[in-house]
Amino acid sequence: MEPARCSGAGSGNSGTYATEITETLRLEEIESLMDVNVIHQGFEGSSPENAGGSSFTALLGLHPSQAVELLHELDPSSSGGFRLGDPKAIHFPLSCSPTFPSNAALIERATRFSVFAAAEESPEGSSAFPSNSDGDHSPNPKSDPPDSDLKPQRLAKRKETDKSSKAKTPSKKGKSTAGDDGEGSPANPDDDKLPYVHVRARRGQATDSHSLAERARREKINARMKLLQELVPGCSKISGTALVLDEIINHVQLLQRQVEILSMRLAAVNPRIDFTGLDNLLSAECGRVTASGHGPGWVDGSCNGVIRRSHHYDNQQQIWHVDLQQQETAGWERDETQQLLHHHVFISGSSSGSPPGTSLFGYDSAASALPLSTQLKSEM
Amino acid sequence: MSKWQSSKQQWIYGRRLIEALRAARSGRTGPCVIKKAADSALALSVRGQSRWSRAILFGPCKPKVKLKACSRIPRHRPFLSPGKLAGAQMKGRKVRGRLRVLSRLVPGCKKLPAASVLSETADYVAALQMRVGLALSQHYARAC
Repeated sequence: MEPARCSGAGSGNSGTYATEITETLRLEEIESLMDVNVIHQGFEGSSPENAGGSSFTALLGLHPSQAVELLHELDPSSSGGFRLGDPKAIHFPLSCSPTFPSNAALIERATRFSVFAAAEESPEGSSAFPSNSDGDHSPNPKSDPPDSDLKPQRLAKRKETDKSSKAKTPSKKGKSTAGDDGEGSPANPDDDKLPYVHVRARRGQATDSHSLAERARREKINARMKLLQELVPGCSKISGTALVLDEIINHVQLLQRQVEILSMRLAAVNPRIDFTGLDNLLSAECGRVTASGHGPGWVDGSCNGVIRRSHHYDNQQQIWHVDLQQQETAGWERDETQQLLHHHVFISGSSSGSPPGTSLFGYDSAASALPLSTQLKSEM
Repeated sequence: MSKWQSSKQQWIYGRRLIEALRAARSGRTGPCVIKKAADSALALSVRGQSRWSRAILFGPCKPKVKLKACSRIPRHRPFLSPGKLAGAQMKGRKVRGRLRVLSRLVPGCKKLPAASVLSETADYVAALQMRVGLALSQHYARAC
């Protein structure tokens, strides 16, 4: 796996590949536990294109360029694949150049790391889990040691930064200019020997270690709340943590119910479908179906390629039509699903924001449609 | 999360779903349908990065998506104090209660700190949205 990892790191966009390396490592561990080779193939197939990166980092409110910059920094440390066993690996870029004045830009990134590194705790603490557990233990005891390892470290860092922050003119966190940091650096060159996460105290705030740690923790939590707010439709306008959490809970419950209902309906409709031809069909035609809403004609047209594979297909098609008429899920479930479908039809006809490129199941229109549909449902 | 919105991810999920459905084609009763849902959830979450996906994979012997419809949120609307954003505010009782409810909803987040619960929830919501969108479009494909 090593050459694959390094080649992945070396080629093209190094920022995203750095996180892919992490994904590769985690998947390997899960593979060893689950012994599933298909995942590996799937991941190998997806690695050249995966631009999503590690999920938490990309959406911490950083701009994509900043995130790429951060990840690019991580690249030298992670190209060896150390991220899993070494939670301190993320701090290597900070310590790789001990003299501050030459790396004034590094300080800026270091301040961003204060949120970023804290966010790395949980993926890395959780990444320790597959290597340790047999699969029955809860992940918490395993992830606690990495977290507790990091915390005293960070508290120690806070104490170091206290001296620097008290001595300097107070500067805003994350936005300190290179000049201020350049001034601060010659006075405290010892700060860089150990990998530190620097948190700047804001103007007029307490600078002892506890409040700094608390503030960092609060910032982390607020960043994630903002992330969730963006994800859940209709939460951006709501102010107040409790109400936002209300909406999030409602949304999660709604999604779970939708999943249950839809999967039940799909399973009821398709009792014994032969899926060899179905995936081809879906990949080729579903995008156009959901967008244009053609009748069964397209199915017949595309069946010709499919029939070669499975002879049952056109028979099953008739079975579907018959089943759709016969098997009606009773009562409110059907109504709710009809509402879902009607909303989806309405919105997919009017949505125009779908990104270019055809996805497998026409999800691009569904992705933009779905938040609107759920919003409509919640507004009803 | 951006990961769940990439078409490649959806394609992978589709393949896993198809394999899971092929494997679980025996029987048509209700529990098996739920099991199919669970299998597709498993297929979806096989990326393995987030805690809830691992909880589904390695969790109890019957990995089922928790449907906590009973977790009602106590809304005291007449007594609602003006909610402040958590700038310098310690976590109030209501917020803590909702976080607990949320951690019960998302699988595998029962004893996590607040930040982890929120990040897991974000991942879970994105995954569920993708899954619902896919299921809807599949439904359309068959309904035509």
